[in-house]
Amino acid sequence: MPPITVSLALVIFAAGVVAGGLGVALGLGGGIFLVPFLTLGLGFSFKSAAAISLTTVIATSSAVASARAGKHLMNLRLGMLLEVATAAGSLLGGITAQIVAESVLQRSFGVVAITVAAVMFARLNRRNVIICSIDNPSPEVGRLGGRFFEAESDCYVAYRVKRLPLALGASFVAGNLSSLLGIGGGIIKVPVLNAWCGVPMRAAAATSALMIGVTATGGAIIYFGHGDLQPVAAAPAVLGVQLGSWVGMSVAQRAPVKWLKVLMAVLLIVVAGLMFARSGS
Amino acid sequence: MTESTERDLGRLEVVIGRLLRAGVLASSLCLACGLILTVAGISRTMAQMALSAGLLVLLATPVARVIVSVAEYLRERDWMFVSLTLGVLLALAGSAVAAFW
Repeated sequence: MPPITVSLALVIFAAGVVAGGLGVALGLGGGIFLVPFLTLGLGFSFKSAAAISLTTVIATSSAVASARAGKHLMNLRLGMLLEVATAAGSLLGGITAQIVAESVLQRSFGVVAITVAAVMFARLNRRNVIICSIDNPSPEVGRLGGRFFEAESDCYVAYRVKRLPLALGASFVAGNLSSLLGIGGGIIKVPVLNAWCGVPMRAAAATSALMIGVTATGGAIIYFGHGDLQPVAAAPAVLGVQLGSWVGMSVAQRAPVKWLKVLMAVLLIVVAGLMFARSGS
Repeated sequence: MTESTERDLGRLEVVIGRLLRAGVLASSLCLACGLILTVAGISRTMAQMALSAGLLVLLATPVARVIVSVAEYLRERDWMFVSLTLGVLLALAGSAVAAFW
C-alpha cells in the first residue's frame, strides 16, 4: 500500500472523475478500470484497490441515480428483481473463486465481453423502443416494462422486457464478478439488457446505475469490516465521482444512443484485452 | 402497467432520488472535511472520525434506498415485490454479518 500523499490523492480524485463520467452515460461504476489502475499503476494491493473501487461504485450509483430520478429512465421494478440475482451472485462470489482458477475466470470474462461487443456492434441501429403515438399513447408493456420521454425522438417511448431468465442470469454473473473483481457489474448487465432483453440503452444504463450501489455495498461492507478500506484513499475517489457525474451529465444527455453503444462496445473490447493479458501473465 | 402503479412508481423514484442525493452530499461533506483536516494536519482524531462517518453514510445510503422500497411496496400491498426487496435486504444483512462477526 503506497502512502497517501496529496499528489496521489489528486490522481485518485481524477480516476473518480472518469468513473463518475462513465457512470452517467453507461451505467458503470468504473471499477473495471479503477482496480487495474490502482493495482498495476499505483501499487495498491488487490484488496485495498477493490475496496476503494467498490466505494467509488456506490458513490457513482448514488450520484447518478439521484440525478436521473424523476425522468422514468430507471426501471425500479426490473432493477429490484435483478438485484435479487445480483445479491445471490455476490454472496456466492467467494465460492466461485475457490472452485475456478483466476486465469480461467479472466479468460471466460474476456470471451463473454468480446461476444457482447460484437452483438452491440451488429445492433447499433436496432432500437428497442415502441414510439408512443396519439393512436397508441400507452402501449402494453407488461409488469416490468417502462415508458419514458426520449429527447432524441422528441416523444414518449415504451419498451417491454424480454428474456427475463437471461437478464437474471447476467445479473447473477455480474454480482458474482462484483465481489471477485471489485466492480459494480454494469459492464455485463447493461449490454445484455440492451442487446437481448429489449431494454433501451438509456433505460438499461440508468437502471444499472441504481443497482450497482446495492451490489457494491454488499462487498464494500465486508472490506470495511475487515479493515481493508483505507478512508484517506477512498475519500478523494468519492469526491471525484461527484464532479465526474456532474460533468458527464450534460455530455451524456446530448450524445446519441448510437455513440453510447459504440463507446460501450469499445470499452468491452479494451476490458477483454486487459483480462486476456492478465490471465497470461 | 395501470395508471395508479405508474404514479406510485414515479413517487418512489422521486423519494429515492432525494434520499440518494442527501446521502451522497452528507457523505461527501464529511469526507471533504476529513481530507482537509488530514492535509492541514490539525486534528488526527477529528480527521479519522470525519472520514469514517463519511464512509459509513456512503455505505448506508443504498441500504436506506432498499428499506424505503420495502415500505413503498408494503403501502402498495405488492407482496411479490415486498418479498423480493426483503430478499435483497437479507443479502445485505448477510454481508454485514460476514463483515463484523
